[in-house]
Amino acid sequence: MNRKTTVLPDRIVGLLFVVPFVVLAAVFMVYPVIEAIRMAFLSYNPLRPDLTTFVALANFAFIFEDPLFWDSFGQATVWTVLSIVFQTVFGVGIALLLHQALAGIAIFRGLLLFPYIVPTVVIALIWRWIFNPEIGVVNHALLAAGLIQTPIYWLSTPEMAMASTIMLNVWKYTPFVVICVLARLQTVPLELYDAAKVDGAGIIRRFLDVTLPQLKEVLIVVIVFRTIWTFNKFEEIYLLTKGGPGTSTFNLAVYSFEQSIASLRLGVGAATGVVMMVMLFLGSVIYLRVSGFGADEKSS
Amino acid sequence: MSTDKTNIPRRDFLAGAAAGVAGASLLGAFPASAQSAKTGTVRCWGEPGPYGGVAVAAMNEWAQKNAPGLKFEIETIPWDGVYVKLMTDLAAQRPPALISVESPIAMQLMAENLLVSLDDVVDKVGRNRIADGVKWEYWGSWKGKQYVLPAHHQPHLLLVRMDIIKDLGLKDPDTWDWNDLLAAARTISQKKPDIAGFTMALGRNLCTDYHFSALLHSAGGRMFDAANKFQVVFDSPQTVEALTFVKELRPYMPKGAVEYSFLQVVDAHVTGKTAMSFYWGRTLGRAAEENKAVFAATEAFNHARHPKTGRRSNWNDFQGWCIPIRNNPFIDEVKAALIYYQTSKDWLIKYSHSLVPNVAPTYKDVLDAPELRNHPIFQAKSRTVQTYFKDSLAHSSSSANEMLQGVNPLAGIVHGRSVLAQTVQKVVIDNMAPAEAAKWGARELEAIRRDNMRLLG
Repeated sequence: MNRKTTVLPDRIVGLLFVVPFVVLAAVFMVYPVIEAIRMAFLSYNPLRPDLTTFVALANFAFIFEDPLFWDSFGQATVWTVLSIVFQTVFGVGIALLLHQALAGIAIFRGLLLFPYIVPTVVIALIWRWIFNPEIGVVNHALLAAGLIQTPIYWLSTPEMAMASTIMLNVWKYTPFVVICVLARLQTVPLELYDAAKVDGAGIIRRFLDVTLPQLKEVLIVVIVFRTIWTFNKFEEIYLLTKGGPGTSTFNLAVYSFEQSIASLRLGVGAATGVVMMVMLFLGSVIYLRVSGFGADEKSS
Repeated sequence: MSTDKTNIPRRDFLAGAAAGVAGASLLGAFPASAQSAKTGTVRCWGEPGPYGGVAVAAMNEWAQKNAPGLKFEIETIPWDGVYVKLMTDLAAQRPPALISVESPIAMQLMAENLLVSLDDVVDKVGRNRIADGVKWEYWGSWKGKQYVLPAHHQPHLLLVRMDIIKDLGLKDPDTWDWNDLLAAARTISQKKPDIAGFTMALGRNLCTDYHFSALLHSAGGRMFDAANKFQVVFDSPQTVEALTFVKELRPYMPKGAVEYSFLQVVDAHVTGKTAMSFYWGRTLGRAAEENKAVFAATEAFNHARHPKTGRRSNWNDFQGWCIPIRNNPFIDEVKAALIYYQTSKDWLIKYSHSLVPNVAPTYKDVLDAPELRNHPIFQAKSRTVQTYFKDSLAHSSSSANEMLQGVNPLAGIVHGRSVLAQTVQKVVIDNMAPAEAAKWGARELEAIRRDNMRLLG
């Protein structure tokens, strides 16, 4: 019996493979963004949707006149910059340590993923206990070692609360940097190191002239993504400090949440999200231009 | 104490009989032939604690007889999450069928037309059963209609470790004014360095809002003037005085108090880290289970008097049951189950007994019932329990009904934004002058009033 087979053109097959992603992206990414932009121009109380009105730019005027918005922006910048700096430094350092041909190194590489794979809510609640001034293990250890005489109130002063949230973020996301850097390190040709050794380059010279240039592209990408994700981060801060004490650890994501849910000003919360999106887009474009990302490919 | 029914006073017997008649009339309204055929789970929201579960058990008893396809289930909402949970689920139009909530939020929902009127339920429960010293409106009435049925009343009082007071030769806390409280906190901190003199919540949360409200009301201040179109009256000498008092007490509190909420205040007292605290009756219940020595030494008092006004205001949680009106397929069944449970003195006593002295009865026949005293904490701490249950009522206040001068539908929004707690934190964290903090708080309250004029009728 003859079987009639239909052969689809490659172009159609390619499109069919892309369709599921396009549909999911449209539903879960594009639509929420469009809806957020639309809502940013509305006065919308979720309890009374019947009272929704168009308010033009009033929500943007509200946030730009709100001192808490600017405080949150400043704190978000501090939280993001310090988190990324520490994650990058520690991430590269740990990746270099793990890039050694030692017995059992795979176990360490696996353990390193632990903070990254544990849900944030679990991590944050555990850290609340760890940082507890009276019964927390950190103070207990420091007191037992004689490094401090009185308990440190980790989450009770603005400076310490900010430091604690940064510590949590660095601890949790440094493994991401390690994975990316380690993957790149494993593709660096060993001949480059051999040639550098022949030229008399020491370990620091080899790191600066061979390793770092080879890591440049991956670090640029990692820093862009980590910056976007950290700047937008909500759950770690909210679960650890709820933005406090006072509003000293508010970032723009917490500000947006407070405006939307606690104050029932969903339009203001959406406007904050739109402003964050524009800030991050512009910041990313400028950073990629300045860092020369992809310049080698273009020139070749 | 006798539990012999023949010893029940005639007044109690008549009150109980009246409740029984009301229950019987309800059962008459649901004869076997008119049973509800609905099926499913009736979701009920309640705050943490065993009492919500007791009420739901009572309602399930009704369901077994009258709606066998229904099952009432309690869903516990943490205190600090109640506003977010309520608002998001109501906004998503998936409310529960029944909510037990404190009056500020109930008042907001009521004014937003989101609740079912319960006047028919109140008629069956018995309008004349309400305890002396309280009114139905304290739980939630608006424009002449009752929207909330009392679950309990729950004042926060001054909890004091009497062993320490006696040890230091301090005078009876029942006679204190604010200056005495401050002096006692100072003395304890100085002479007992391992223990805080006093603890209240200072975090950006509901508990701080409530603790500060009571101080504000004791000083004679308020957020809004209910009699004058809810004009904001927060920027006042009384607010400044209350904020100054908190600032003066701060050195004698635990350093971590600026992040304390409900749980941390209880923890501080139960674990013996503070000699005095502001709290509801839950602390004694926890101490009875976890730290017998603290339980034995702790007594509760009405708050220290304000030196000028003489007021001893507490923040009384007039916690009540309310029924969301939107997307609620079980309104009739929930009403019937509520009547069944609220007309059963046995169930109401079980409810109160589930966490003595945290949840005080609201009906005279229950409050005066001899069986109510049949509980170890009541017997061990009779004076303290009576202070929570009865004597505190003369000093009741609430942000939802400030100094009992009028129902305030804006209070839920105030608490949702933690305006009072943020005002306190301006003083204790940012070192802002109390007068400036009062102005800041007044601006926030004015914004709430301006945005929600529709609620003010």
